[in-house]
Amino acid sequence: MNKKCGRYFGGLLSSQARWLDKMSDRGWRLVRAERLIYEFEPCRPGQVRYCVEYIGNRSHADAEEYRCFLEDLGYRTFYKNVNLNWNIGKVVARPWADRGGRLATDATTLNRELLIVEKENDGKQFQLHTTFEDKIRYYKAMRRPGLFLLAMSVALGAVLRTWVAGIFAVLALIQIVACQIELARLEKQGELQEW
Amino acid sequence: MRDNAKGGALTEVTFYILLALHTPRHGYGVMRFIEEKTVGRLSLGAGTLYGALNALLDKGWIEPWGEEGGRKREYTVTPLGREVAKRELDRLERLIEVAQDIIGGAG
Repeated sequence: MNKKCGRYFGGLLSSQARWLDKMSDRGWRLVRAERLIYEFEPCRPGQVRYCVEYIGNRSHADAEEYRCFLEDLGYRTFYKNVNLNWNIGKVVARPWADRGGRLATDATTLNRELLIVEKENDGKQFQLHTTFEDKIRYYKAMRRPGLFLLAMSVALGAVLRTWVAGIFAVLALIQIVACQIELARLEKQGELQEW
Repeated sequence: MRDNAKGGALTEVTFYILLALHTPRHGYGVMRFIEEKTVGRLSLGAGTLYGALNALLDKGWIEPWGEEGGRKREYTVTPLGREVAKRELDRLERLIEVAQDIIGGAG
């Protein structure tokens, strides 16, 4: 019998992956992921492992091609929202995204900013990005929405003089600093090593 | 570390992908080839492989192979990609010659 759990992780991708790994260790593998609900079916304890990847910067075509590529490798994938948007027919501008992904709609990448990837557990650490060059590219893509939000918050705060803009600016700064710390570590290690 | 197009030096990942695709393979085949040939030393993540394959497609060093609508997309090296791989082999052979001369007989 399937089991449903309600959780919201927002942009905490590693926490989400760790929780899904724990569910797998308890004998539950993901079959469906909705805005706040995860549905699981029974499996052998520890049978599968998870990665959660931010793909909100990709165009719809690229995101779909990437998902198909992963499925071809034998992985199972699930789209997941990063924000809690309830909407129909909404269009969102993402100036930081790659070409083709700068206008997100219900039919494209809106509420599909994350990709949960499931792999059969082979005892090795499950990583989607393994070279420093690729990891740096990934963290730079993750940092771009934060930079945009910070710039917008500062501009709106200056014009409207509202404290709400300050809250968004602080949230953006936390994300930028977290990415920046990781980028600095990766760039230092990547000077001499390829992976 | 990146491919040094000017100097001709490739990253190990790029060189191994070009070598793997001297025989047409899909993504999983490339991953297995690299893992086998390096005895597990180099294990490519799927996201890294996807980015590397797309970069090599953009450079024209590899191309899709077989039917477009096939279940799994396969790739093969292009004549330009073979030339790039050959140049890298020549560069590495020359490097090994120099290294042998200097430190090879030191022991």
